[in-house]
Amino acid sequence: MDAGATRRRVVDARDKSCPGPITDLALAYRRSKIGDVIELWATDPGVRADVRAWAAKTGNELVSLEDKSGAIVSVLRILRR
Amino acid sequence: MGGVLILGGGTGGTLLANMLARRGIEITVVSESPEHLFQPALLYIALAGAGADIVRDERALLAKRVRFARERIVRVNLAAHRAEAASGARFDYDSLVVATGARAEPAQIPGLAEIAERYGNYHSGITAAQKLWKALDSFRGGTVAVGQASPICVCPPSPVEGVLLIDKLLRRRWLRSKSRLIFFTPFPRTYPAEPINEIVEPLLKARGIEVKTFFDVDRVEPASRTIFSIEGERIDCDLPIIVPPVCGADVAYEPDGALNADRFIAVDKKTLRIKDTDSAYAIGDATDLPTSKAGAGAHLQAKTVFRELMGEPAEFNGRTHCAFDLGNGTGTFVISSYSAPAVRYPPTRIKRLMKMLMGRVYWLSLSGLFETIFNWYFSWTAPERLAARWPRFWRRANR
Ligand SMILES: Cc1cc2nc3c(=O)[nH]c(=O)nc-3n(C[C@H](O)[C@H](O)[C@H](O)COP(=O)(O)OP(=O)(O)OC[C@H]3O[C@@H](n4cnc5c(N)ncnc54)[C@H](O)[C@@H]3O)c2cc1C
Repeated sequence: MDAGATRRRVVDARDKSCPGPITDLALAYRRSKIGDVIELWATDPGVRADVRAWAAKTGNELVSLEDKSGAIVSVLRILRR
Repeated sequence: MGGVLILGGGTGGTLLANMLARRGIEITVVSESPEHLFQPALLYIALAGAGADIVRDERALLAKRVRFARERIVRVNLAAHRAEAASGARFDYDSLVVATGARAEPAQIPGLAEIAERYGNYHSGITAAQKLWKALDSFRGGTVAVGQASPICVCPPSPVEGVLLIDKLLRRRWLRSKSRLIFFTPFPRTYPAEPINEIVEPLLKARGIEVKTFFDVDRVEPASRTIFSIEGERIDCDLPIIVPPVCGADVAYEPDGALNADRFIAVDKKTLRIKDTDSAYAIGDATDLPTSKAGAGAHLQAKTVFRELMGEPAEFNGRTHCAFDLGNGTGTFVISSYSAPAVRYPPTRIKRLMKMLMGRVYWLSLSGLFETIFNWYFSWTAPERLAARWPRFWRRANR
């Protein structure tokens, strides 16, 4: 893959709690570039509030947040870092 | 040579070796260091000026029949069942257990190695801890910033414990009114697990400690002591106390799919078997397990692998049991498992005392002779059981 191209990264944080999915999201953010899309899969219900707060605080876009096959899937687009 | 090869003579490796030795199994422990460090005490060396008697000779902690080699492993061939040391020494095995822990790597963050060199920290050994105590000793007021540089750190309570102990120290020295204390964290709240945060957040508030959430360290400017976050914020301070990022040991694995980007070993979260192998396991801080990196986890995982190697059915249930010193004479534990979120376990003086006693009990516990007591203790404090005992403290972070 072209190193300069934007990427879609799937982060699987299912069955994780404490510190949980937000750790994986923060790690993925650290490795991302502007324009990248992060798809976070989680089962911890706390993730809903956390990704909303994360997107608001960091100025990144929460594209969608939905329940899919027993998991909570958040799609985030990196606009700032 | 065959038998069980254990890489790393720390908490998990030492306990497992001693448990297996008692069953007459042939065991070799290979470890980089001839010494064994009780890491939790670094907190008190750095932030309370405690003595540094926290090291024992590893050979003396191992049962006599365990073969011990002081070597630094650089390569493991999982297909050929062979580990190689930097010296060229080779170790063949029937079963392998990797317990090489995690290491602090400040260089991952620009500017952090220089900060660590100048001010020390409490996650990189005795010298760094003593350096931090010196820096605190000459501090006469100003801004102190405390936090973790990366979302993954060994002993998740330790960043908050650090800021609470510094607050205590500054008060004792009549410096608190001349100081601003800032706690930064990459998480949405002071402590990532909500039930524990409900205990911790009011404590920091009551002590006037400022909290900056979603602050993920991007780089540090050593000259001005400015910490910048990926999120675009900055903290200017006089004394930066930063828990460095961690990664796995510098060992190459074949096939290399066994390691993740931070060199942690990919294992099955229940069997602890290294992915795509039949007789290789990893335990403790060395793994990519989705639980806290802490001594209690290494202990319980050692026990799971012990049973598996003995041919008994066993599964690791993701149990955590992290001691938390709240800096006010009380303490609690962060207790959870794969199936149970952290319990809001009421802080008491006894729980803090238990953390202090662990410094003594630790060396005895490595013998594996007290497993009956530990079994009883861990089942008595199982998260489901605590929840039933204190229903009103039991909350799921379901917002
Ligand atoms: C400040 C602080 C406070 C803590 N407080 C607590 C607490 O209150 N409660 C708790 O449960 N835990 C606590 N911990 C965590 C606990 O100390 C560790 O999680 C635990 O020691 C991990 O055990 P381990 O066996 O996985 O690794 P370690 O004990 O770190 O052992 C790893 C071993 O591997 C060896 N090694 C590394 N690389 C190689 C190589 N290439 N070749 C050969 N050998 C190698 C090392 O020399 C070492 O002997 C704390 C840690 C810190 C830093």
